[in-house]
Formats: sequence, C-alpha cells, structure tokens
Amino acid sequence: MNNWLNQHIQTLKLVLSRMHNNMLSTFMICLVIGVAMCLPSLFYLAVDNLSKLTDHMQKDTEISLFLKVDANTDEIKEVERQLAKNQGIANFHLVTKEEAWQQLQTKSRSNQEISDAVSQLGKNPLPDAFFIQAKSSDPDSLIRLKDTLQNLPSVELALLNTEWVKRLSSLLSLGKKLISMIAGLLAIVLLVIIGNTVRMQILTQKDEIEVSNLIGATRSFIRMPFLYAGALYGLFGGLMAVLMLIGIIQAFNLSISQIAHLYSNDFSVTLFDTQLFLAVIISAISIGWIGSYIAVSRAIASYKIN
Amino acid sequence: MIQFDKVTKRYPGSDEILKNISFNIDAGEFVFLTGHSGAGKSTLLKLIAATERPTSGTVLIANQNVSQLKPSAIPFLRRRFGLIFQDHKLLYDRNCFENVILPLHINGVTGQEAAKRVRAALDKVGLLNKEKAMPITLSGGEQQRLAIARAVVSRPSILLADEPTGNLDASYAADIMAIFYAFNQVGVTVIMSTHDALGMSARQNRVMHINQGSLTEHLLKEPHLDQAPSSVERFTS
Ligand SMILES: Nc1ncnc2c1ncn2[C@@H]1O[C@H](COP(=O)(O)OP(=O)(O)O)[C@@H](O)[C@H]1O
Ligand SMILES: [Mg+2]
Repeated sequence: MNNWLNQHIQTLKLVLSRMHNNMLSTFMICLVIGVAMCLPSLFYLAVDNLSKLTDHMQKDTEISLFLKVDANTDEIKEVERQLAKNQGIANFHLVTKEEAWQQLQTKSRSNQEISDAVSQLGKNPLPDAFFIQAKSSDPDSLIRLKDTLQNLPSVELALLNTEWVKRLSSLLSLGKKLISMIAGLLAIVLLVIIGNTVRMQILTQKDEIEVSNLIGATRSFIRMPFLYAGALYGLFGGLMAVLMLIGIIQAFNLSISQIAHLYSNDFSVTLFDTQLFLAVIISAISIGWIGSYIAVSRAIASYKIN
Repeated sequence: MIQFDKVTKRYPGSDEILKNISFNIDAGEFVFLTGHSGAGKSTLLKLIAATERPTSGTVLIANQNVSQLKPSAIPFLRRRFGLIFQDHKLLYDRNCFENVILPLHINGVTGQEAAKRVRAALDKVGLLNKEKAMPITLSGGEQQRLAIARAVVSRPSILLADEPTGNLDASYAADIMAIFYAFNQVGVTVIMSTHDALGMSARQNRVMHINQGSLTEHLLKEPHLDQAPSSVERFTS
C-alpha cells in the first residue's frame, strides 16, 4: 500500500519535473485547453443568467389595459367594475390620461429633445389605462385573461408585457441546446489536441518505454506517467479556464448589474459559480486522461510491446 | 533452470537464425555464448529473456513454458533477469541514480529502500561517486558498468549480458569480467555473449558456440589468452 502510494507520488514528481523543464509548451497546451473550456462556459453563464432574469420577470406579470381615447367616466367605471369581478386578477390600478400626461411631462423635463417633442404635441394624446396584476403566472391562463380583457367594451388594447420575455426564454432554451453541442465539439477537439501532445511526448520517451518494457514493466506502469501528464494538463487548463472566467465576469459585472438595474430587479450575476467551475475542471481532467489513454494505448500497440 | 528444446527462430522474412537448438543451463552456471557477428547470439539471449518468442520448439524458464504464458505474465517473468543490452539502452535524459532506480520502480520498490539499493549497486560497479552525473558524461567503460548496476539492482537470479565488453579496451574489459565473476560467486547465473571468450576467461567456463544456426559446446579450461579456440574445443554438439 505504502509502496503503491510511493510509486504514484514518484510518477507524479517525474511528470511535474518534465513539465517544469518544458514550461513553455506546457503553458501553451494548458492555455489551449483553458480557452477551449472557457468559451462554452461563458455562453453557458450568459444564457443561464439571462434565463434567471427572464424567469424573474415572468413572475411579476402585468397586463396593461389601454382604453379608447374618447372613453368617458362612466365607461371607465364600467371597466373598473368588470375588473373587480374577475377572479383571475390579483389587483389593478388606474392611471388616468391626465396623470399619465403629467408623468410624461415630468419625466421628459430632463431630456431636452423629448420635452420639445412633448410640448409640440400640444394636447394630451394619452389614453386612460389600467395596470393589472394577475393571480397566476402561468402563460396560458395569462393569455386567456388578456383575451377576455381585450373584449371588454371601450378597451382599445390589452398588452401582456411578458410576451417578449417568453420569446426570449424559448430562444434561450435553444441556446442551451446549442451550448451542449458546442461543448461536445470542443471536447472532441481537446481530446485530439491532448492526445496529440501526449503522442509527441511518447515519441520523445520512446527509449524509456522500450527499456521499461524489456526489463519487465507492466502496461499500466508504462501508461501511468502519460495518464498523469494528460490529467495534469486538464487540471492546469481547467484552472486557467476558471481564472479567465472570473476575470471576464468581473470585467462585465459592472455593465451587467447596470442592465439589471434598468429592470429595477434585485437581480445579480453570480461571480463564483462553483458548480460550473468544478464541472469545468473535472471535465478538463477527464478529457486529458481519456485523450492520453487513447494515445498511449495506440503507441503501446504500435511498438508491439508484449 | 533454462531449458531449450528443439528451438528454431526465424524473424519475419528472415532465414532460420537458430535451428533446432537444445540445451540446459543450471542455476549458478557461468556460460559464454560465442559466434561471429550475426550468428544469433543476441537472438538467443532475447529468447531466454522472453523478449522474442521461438518460431518452434519450447523455451522453459524455471519450468514455465514461455510460449504458453499469458501476455500479462511476461513482465513478471522478465523481472527474473538482469539484462545488459548490447547497446546499453541507458536513458540519457536522466542521471545515473535515476537510471539505476528504474527497475526498482518497476518492481514497486521506492523511497529509502530503493535509494539504499541503488547506492549499493552503484558501489559494486565503482560508480558511487557518479550518481548525479548524466550518462553521456561517462566513459564507455563507465556506461557499461552503469548498465550492469541497473541490471543487478533488483537482485535478479540470472544475468544476461550481450557483448558487455564489446567495445572496451582490455583493462576496462577485465574490470567488467571481475564484476561478473563476483556476482557468479554469490550464486547468480551469468550468461554472457562475446566474440572472443578466450580473451575474457580467467577460469574454467562452459562455452556455447553458435555457427550457421547450430549450437556446439565446449569447456574453456585455462586462461591461455593467445590460444586459438580449436585447440581447446571439445565438441559435444
Ligand atoms: N528483429 C529482427 N528482424 C529481422 N532480422 C533480425 C532481427 N534481429 C536480428 N535479425 C537477424 O538475425 C541475425 C542474428 O542477429 P543477432 O542475434 O543480433 O546476431 P549477433 O548478436 O550474434 O550478432 C542477423 O542476421 C540479423 O540480421
Ligand atoms: Mg548481438
């Protein structure tokens, strides 16, 4: 047991010192792995955070109900009664055309162009509007509610604010599928790259393999250093990917949080997605291991080692 | 211990290098293997070390039939031997100490125990002070002794040496022979190929001579260094 452990430590030391002696090429291969792992992770992070954002927004669904511009007070009262009766509505409030007009003028005061445009309008073009919070956040029942409201008398337009969100989220789920495809392709590329690197090492280590074989080394003994090398490339490459990810997230975090702020959400981008980082590192190690296993097995077969 | 029964060896596309050879080597023997260059000395040693398989006939090592061994058992058979290759096969990317420790690692011996044995082996061949040196910086005779240290470090019961004195001048060669005799003295079986057994021997030895694929044997009696082989040959065929 102790010997077995020692043997692995010995091999690890040997492999590390070889990597140390070939610092530049080791760095290059790790960089390649790092970048290749970084790309799909970034996509993933973007899609994941966006879909969290859209989930969030789908929750506070609001239906805007714009009345006809010429609707009179009685008609407004009638709509209000209808809304109060409706079981699907949690609450609603009315913004009259005068209130809306005032708000528009207040808000536009800071922007010269808009305020010019507004003052050119002269008279109030805005309709009375109800803003309605539904009880359910289920898309189908929301659409049904919207259609019902649309058919009320003196209603010009019922607007479900979440429609674009829904479209975005279905786009995002397409994006997720795309990511797993890209990740799969990159995994194959990495297998080839790592396998090739290990194959080159096997060539430079040909004498060692031959001598070891002649003096009674088993196949697993001969394989071991190369498997370690592959796994270590994966480990270092994976760590590099994680570092790059952290750097990139940090760089964009500011603008992302600004965007989130625009939607007045308590939404924040996770900087340390530990699960993602672990997944990146573990899959990089596995790819390294498998790539070098394939390479060394083929080499052993071609050297006719028996 | 080593038994050949009607062994024939042919490489793919070659003629029969060894034809119908039978012999028996007991534990503790010191055997010279002679023959001109290309006669098949290396081939015979490779058959013993199970790095080549016979085309026909049986090779028994410690009563195990090499041809019938599973591939996974071959490495363990090979560990019984200390191999000294005609071309050394030293690893030039690592120092003397690391060269010699390789068979121990293969055997699963590591750490302090391994280091102790490596130094003992280097000491036996007089290279203790060179453990950190790279093999390329050693003289021909020193490289050959390093190869011997690597062959004996895991304490094999059989030493197979392929022309270990081939390219060395006489005084180096005598050193090497002294080392082999010392191992033989403590019970190690030594089989050594050479193209001039007579120049080597300081005592009575068994000589196996390969010619045209056939094996003839004689005893080498006295250290008459200048004598022609024919004068001391006693063919047993
Ligand atoms: N792997 C091989 N494939 C084909 N022919 C070989 C191989 N190894 C040796 N031979 C041939 O076998 C003959 C004997 O070689 P070898 O055993 O090396 O002779 P020696 O060691 O006595 O000089 C030579 O003719 C050589 O060319
Ligand atoms: Mg030879």
